[in-house]
Amino acid sequence: MLEEMRLDENIVLMGEEVGYYQGAYKVTQGLLEEFGSDRVVDTPIAEAGFAGIGIGAAMVGLRPIIEFMTWNFSFVAFDQIVQNAAKLYQMSAGQLQVPIVFRGPNGAAKQVSSQHSHAVEAFYTHVPGLWVCAPATPRDAKGLLKAAIRDNNPVIFLEGETLYGIKGEVPEVEEDEIIPIGKAAVAREGTDATIVTWGSPYYTSLAAAERLAGAGIECEIIDMRSLRPLDMETVLQSVRKTNRCVVVHEHWPYAGPGAEIVDGIQRDAMDHLDAPILRVTGQDVPMPYATNLEENVLPTEARVEEAVKQVCYRQ
Amino acid sequence: MAKIIGLPKLSPTMEEGTLVTWNKKEGDTIDVDDLLAEVETDKATMEFRSFDKGVLLKILVEEGQTLAPDTPVAIMGTPDENIDALMAEVSKTGATAATESAPAEPLPVETTTAEKATPQASSNQTTTAPQNAQNPGKVIASPLVRRMAREQNIDLSNVRGSGDHGRVIKRDLANITPNTSKPNTHHVPLPGIQPMGVGPDQKEPVSQMRKTIARRLTESKRDIPHYYLTVDVDVAPLIRARAEINAELEGQGLKISLNDLLIKACAVSLARQPDVNVSFHGDHIVRHQRVDISVAVAIPDGLITPVVRNANLKGVLQISQEVRELAKRAREKRLKPEEFTDGTFSISNLGMFGIDHFTAVINPPEGAILAVGQVREEPTIQNGELVAGKRMRMTLSCDHRVIDGAAGAQFLAVLRRHLESPTTLLL
Repeated sequence: MLEEMRLDENIVLMGEEVGYYQGAYKVTQGLLEEFGSDRVVDTPIAEAGFAGIGIGAAMVGLRPIIEFMTWNFSFVAFDQIVQNAAKLYQMSAGQLQVPIVFRGPNGAAKQVSSQHSHAVEAFYTHVPGLWVCAPATPRDAKGLLKAAIRDNNPVIFLEGETLYGIKGEVPEVEEDEIIPIGKAAVAREGTDATIVTWGSPYYTSLAAAERLAGAGIECEIIDMRSLRPLDMETVLQSVRKTNRCVVVHEHWPYAGPGAEIVDGIQRDAMDHLDAPILRVTGQDVPMPYATNLEENVLPTEARVEEAVKQVCYRQ
Repeated sequence: MAKIIGLPKLSPTMEEGTLVTWNKKEGDTIDVDDLLAEVETDKATMEFRSFDKGVLLKILVEEGQTLAPDTPVAIMGTPDENIDALMAEVSKTGATAATESAPAEPLPVETTTAEKATPQASSNQTTTAPQNAQNPGKVIASPLVRRMAREQNIDLSNVRGSGDHGRVIKRDLANITPNTSKPNTHHVPLPGIQPMGVGPDQKEPVSQMRKTIARRLTESKRDIPHYYLTVDVDVAPLIRARAEINAELEGQGLKISLNDLLIKACAVSLARQPDVNVSFHGDHIVRHQRVDISVAVAIPDGLITPVVRNANLKGVLQISQEVRELAKRAREKRLKPEEFTDGTFSISNLGMFGIDHFTAVINPPEGAILAVGQVREEPTIQNGELVAGKRMRMTLSCDHRVIDGAAGAQFLAVLRRHLESPTTLLL
């Protein structure tokens, strides 16, 4: 954000505690000091209000970044995002563009219970007119956020709440690396089964793949990175090679991008499938508070491992 | 110094070629032997590699254009070189190329019916075992396995599935060999019915290969006085010989076919009867001092005749492996020109389609071609006794300008002797 705000003075940041407190997760550290309170705006606890102000500002030429302290709080701004951000371009016959980024932490943290543990991608990918990104690695987070800020469409940017602590190399400012929206990455090559994932379950999948390699099963991991548009071509290429697929995601199993990916595979790689496609998802319940229960609701390494063995008929 | 690059002659018989793909673009630096483009010639898709070094300054023809050899296709030189003079030269000579390039625009083809027909045709071939026709329990197999079964002609009803609910999965096919128990000619699977009477007739452009087939075979049938000699051979000994050889090869996973033995027998017979191993060239006759057998191979959209060189000197196993390799690459359109030209005698075998007897068109400039039918199980008289025999009918087409009836007949007599007594091939 810092790099982009230095490049384009139309970029403004709004949200709860983004200024003086420098972000609930310290994502916005130093921004108020450098860009001043005209461009880094602390808002009241009123998501519907500041999301709407951001959309209005975007319509008339600014490029706002709206931070939700967590995506759980975006639901009170759902109306603004779905009814205005996503639709104004179409309703105005292209006269109004809404170049805005909504970002914030997504998914369960630790013991924040049912109202604060949503993986919201199923809600937002449902809406035509929104792009949705869900990076897993620091490098992808940086490159995709730059792409999102420069894009002229409203972008939902989902940062994994448990991923803020992940360390990794990111390109220097001069490199100006942009990760294009809508392009998946082959994060690990393998021959026996494809794991399609994104966000924090990416790390669960990587760990499971290492354990499976010990059992002689080589998984190919596709990190979707963006959920709308979906890069099905990369997924299909992999499935045509491995003939088996497991989709791993944190959101609930009923509908959503996980189901969408399965639909695309059955339609375009039917004759390459040697086993039904399985999904490992967050369980179909509101998140419990108790740690032991929470662990079992989220996709676990053991469940990923079991699903991969099942599609490989190795049980 | 910039120069015009012309379309090279990429096969000895190439009279025109279609520039299918440019692999370089304007401004690219080119090294000697870099792949410039792919060109579809009369028989294969060939690589057009650069003889020069430099920068590709200008591409003169678009992909899809059909051109005569030497037609200017590009200009190469040093970066930013002025090519106005060369462009003027090209536009002068370019007129001939332009007339050649007429077929570049694909003819409008009504594709809807064809596209609709394909899935139906393939679904009709979905493998379901005959016994399951009465049995409500059908074969459970993964979509991948069903596709593999379709492609490799595997009967899934005999495969035990190790997946859930007895589903046949990929690994269950690991030990299954495709059903090569030659489809008994009386049980050729019926192809699916294409919808007819639902649209206008379709026009399609003539491919380079089709043009070559049309031109060469018309020339052959028009200019060569064909005559035909037919023999009906007892092939029971040959079949026994094949069984013995294959039993010997079994451990190595190798197998020879009747056709491989036939190639060997023809080659040896030609060495014994070289009067048939000749070519007529108007003012002279070539008596070949080599026996190179062309083998007709059907490929999508046409046929091609890869050549087994010096077949008289090779063992049957070596012939078998060469033919298999050549046929495979022929189907992929990856034969080199020298691999399908300059044979001295051809064999065309339609036995696998259940054909009893046919006559073939001579493949010029060769002097003769042997047309081979299927093995028939028929009552045969042997030593005055009626026995169950195995017969095969073969017809030799000869060029009467250079092979007279007696020479052709003597050749067939020799061939028959070798086929009915395969041990004589050891002599």
